[in-house]
Amino acid sequence: MTEPEPVVELTGITKRFPGVVANSDVHLTVRAGEVHAVCGENGAGKSTLMKILYGMQQPDEGTISVGGEVVELRNPQDAIKAGIGMVHQHFMLADNLTVRENVLLGAEGLYGMGRKARATLAELAERTGLRVDPDTLVENLGVADRQRVEIVKVLYRGARIVILDEPTAVLVPQEVDALFETVRSMQADGYTFLFISHKLDEVRAIADEVTVIRRGTTVGTVDPKEVTSRELAEMMVGSELPSPETRESTVTDRPVLRVSDLRLDAEDSERAVLDDVSLTVRAGEIVGIAGVEGNGQTELVETIMGMRKASAGTVELASAGGDLRDITRLGTLARREAGIGYIAEDRHRHGLLLRQPLWSNRILGYQTRPPVSNGRLIDPAAARRDTERVVEEYDVRTPGVEVLAGALSGGNQQKLIVGRELSGEPVLLIAAHPTRGVDVGAQALIWEQMRAARHDGLAVLLVSADLDELIGLSDTIRVMLRGRLVSEADPATVTPTELGSAMTGAGEEAA
Amino acid sequence: MEKPDPTATTSARRLPGWARGALWAVVAIGVLSTASYLTDMPILTSSDTSQTALRLGLPILLAAIGGLWAERAGVMNIGLEGMMILGTWGSAWGAYYGGVWVGLAAGILFGLLGGLLHAVAVVTFNVNHIVSGVAINLLGLGVAKYLANLVFEPISGNPRESPPVEKFDTYSATFLSDWLGALEDEQRVVLSDVAGLLRGLVTHVSPLAMIALLLVPASYFVLWRTRFGLRLRSCGESPVAAESLGVNVYLHKYIAVAASGGFAGMGGASLVLLEGGADYLENQVNGRGYIGLAAMIFGNYRPSGLLGGAALFGYADGLQLSGGGAAVLALCYGAVLLLAVIVVLQLVRRHWWAAAGGVAGAAVLYWIYWTNDELPSDLIPYTPHFVTIIVLAVAAQRLRVPKAIGQQYRRGEDT
Repeated sequence: MTEPEPVVELTGITKRFPGVVANSDVHLTVRAGEVHAVCGENGAGKSTLMKILYGMQQPDEGTISVGGEVVELRNPQDAIKAGIGMVHQHFMLADNLTVRENVLLGAEGLYGMGRKARATLAELAERTGLRVDPDTLVENLGVADRQRVEIVKVLYRGARIVILDEPTAVLVPQEVDALFETVRSMQADGYTFLFISHKLDEVRAIADEVTVIRRGTTVGTVDPKEVTSRELAEMMVGSELPSPETRESTVTDRPVLRVSDLRLDAEDSERAVLDDVSLTVRAGEIVGIAGVEGNGQTELVETIMGMRKASAGTVELASAGGDLRDITRLGTLARREAGIGYIAEDRHRHGLLLRQPLWSNRILGYQTRPPVSNGRLIDPAAARRDTERVVEEYDVRTPGVEVLAGALSGGNQQKLIVGRELSGEPVLLIAAHPTRGVDVGAQALIWEQMRAARHDGLAVLLVSADLDELIGLSDTIRVMLRGRLVSEADPATVTPTELGSAMTGAGEEAA
Repeated sequence: MEKPDPTATTSARRLPGWARGALWAVVAIGVLSTASYLTDMPILTSSDTSQTALRLGLPILLAAIGGLWAERAGVMNIGLEGMMILGTWGSAWGAYYGGVWVGLAAGILFGLLGGLLHAVAVVTFNVNHIVSGVAINLLGLGVAKYLANLVFEPISGNPRESPPVEKFDTYSATFLSDWLGALEDEQRVVLSDVAGLLRGLVTHVSPLAMIALLLVPASYFVLWRTRFGLRLRSCGESPVAAESLGVNVYLHKYIAVAASGGFAGMGGASLVLLEGGADYLENQVNGRGYIGLAAMIFGNYRPSGLLGGAALFGYADGLQLSGGGAAVLALCYGAVLLLAVIVVLQLVRRHWWAAAGGVAGAAVLYWIYWTNDELPSDLIPYTPHFVTIIVLAVAAQRLRVPKAIGQQYRRGEDT
């Protein structure tokens, strides 16, 4: 077998933004028909690089050649013409339009809007495993199907080189497997993939070659079959790595959170979203909730936080004296003041104000408490000072506290949130997907902080889709399925595969 | 996945749009003919009423179409009112110097200029949509006043009014109209009512009315069946996604808002150029732009729906003009009947609270009908406004609003 021709070659790409160099002297060679992974921490410059390749940004220096010819990609249309398509991490879909409309949009000229378009769409849907009615609104689709719609969109435009930007971040393990199958079968059809990820196991499972980027520049290209995940990770971070394992048990017998028979009815039907959920979290204990997304974890967290009103059941939280107090009727702010810290699952929707500076984000949720407020008035000076402390202690990489939160990378935003939530001296931390979309470095820091807090007696309720994280951090794992806690697993013995099958309900009757 | 099965919830309401529209039309006619029979008020379904309704509904319809175009592209257009005012002045000016078709063109042009101004502010300079809309309303009023002072005052001697201008000729489908007229006079239950309503729609119809009515299916076709329409709507749903697919969001928004202004200007022209309407008159638009917007929202941002909204408003307005207080009371009675239908529907669907609300509303209306012989004459001209408010309040639940509406969009800016 001879080496296939390179289809995409990036040479000496440099891109500067005011104040930062996002990419410097990046080299990347992708061969026809391979799955080429690009790995790096968040903020390492992967996204910028892909935006450059997709024509969304122009490099300051360096050249791009596609199929052996140097091309200039001034906008996504140029990239599409060159046969490059991109599936964005945050889907670029219009919810209120149908699947067909979303695919056709902007490419109406290719096959018209009538029968030919339908036929092409049907064929591509078949190829990518998209099994939905093309006239359904995208709104009604699950995440995995949305992603397929994105892939179909790219293919419809005739792309032969597909960029997948963190495609697995939003998927559960089974969906990831299905996606990989699709990728492999398409690879056999001659498509080339650029796979952006920081989940190393997945990279090793799918990629033929891996290029690692650190601090905006390429560290090297390796064959994933010849390196371990650990070696890859060390290339990304440039140092020795911690693992999620909690060392010794710090569980006490003092309950901090007790949820009894919690029930939440769906808004428009009699169906229960949460059905008789009972659980206890003790001081110094991390209780992990595993489950396929959409099985009630979000609702459980939001009900405990008071963002949704429970239909039945009670939520009790340990007060300063140590005895449990019923907080079922309290509002969210009162619950926070009672000592709950909250890392929301979607930091853009719930955790941060992206268009506000860091210090005013520090105030969010603490507007009634010192040090950022005296109860009535907010104290901006103190907030700035305390934000500086958080930035320092939690290694938030930012030029200063006046920077808008939206300007930070995902990992740094999350570190700020973790710092904020742990600064309020909580007795209970509710962490929903605390390291989602976060790079390895930030992940390690967040794990370390959670472990340290647990050591100091913090109770943690951890919801995560990352099974390694759940198994590594938790003292107890509860599995959630269709709004119920169906089984329990011991993180010391359980494997991700076992957990995964429990999550999908295989062996549900046995449990 | 425990997402509610989408097919299960939608299958019950999977009736195609035209079928549901037809169904509602049948219900409406049924209610009106029953009411006119029970209250002995044939005016409820007379050809006079429907003819006036058509004339009065037109400006609303056109404004609503204008609203549809802008809002589907993601731009809130509160400025419809101002664009209509510009249209009234433009059409009177054009019609005075060049005849009625020139008047129509000038009305559209003036509205379009208003629309372009809104687009410049909202799309290019990212001004808040409401602020810009309100500014255009004030500006439209001011400009029209100023121009009327400058141009009309020397001719008509009155700065608030234009000289008399030419009006559109009207056409009747003579044969059909006579036959329906005969049927109407026979006073047969239901049949005569339908005949009366239809007769009004085929007698003395101006070309402008025909154009306006054709604009409804035309808008549907353009917005939902063409590539341009898909692109335009994508700007209202997700401009970031649209831009990433090579849609020129700015351009489409510009076109949409300019077209929106053009339709509103046409709506203004329909106030001036129709038989039975006034010439240019200060304040003659009188909130119709807002009502058009409301009709469009009531119609769930869809052409068929906004036609219903405009018809409702036009009908209420036509009725109070041709029938006065007694007719409005009869309409109350009709509303009670309609609510009864709705309550039954809600009971079947097991929406207890909605049903209870319906019963309460029906009780209040019936009480009004029962205790009054005559409504205060000061209030009667506002019948359509009341109707609009009530209908909006009741209907505002399940709206599918364009997702990116009112958002400021800047090219290349993430999230």
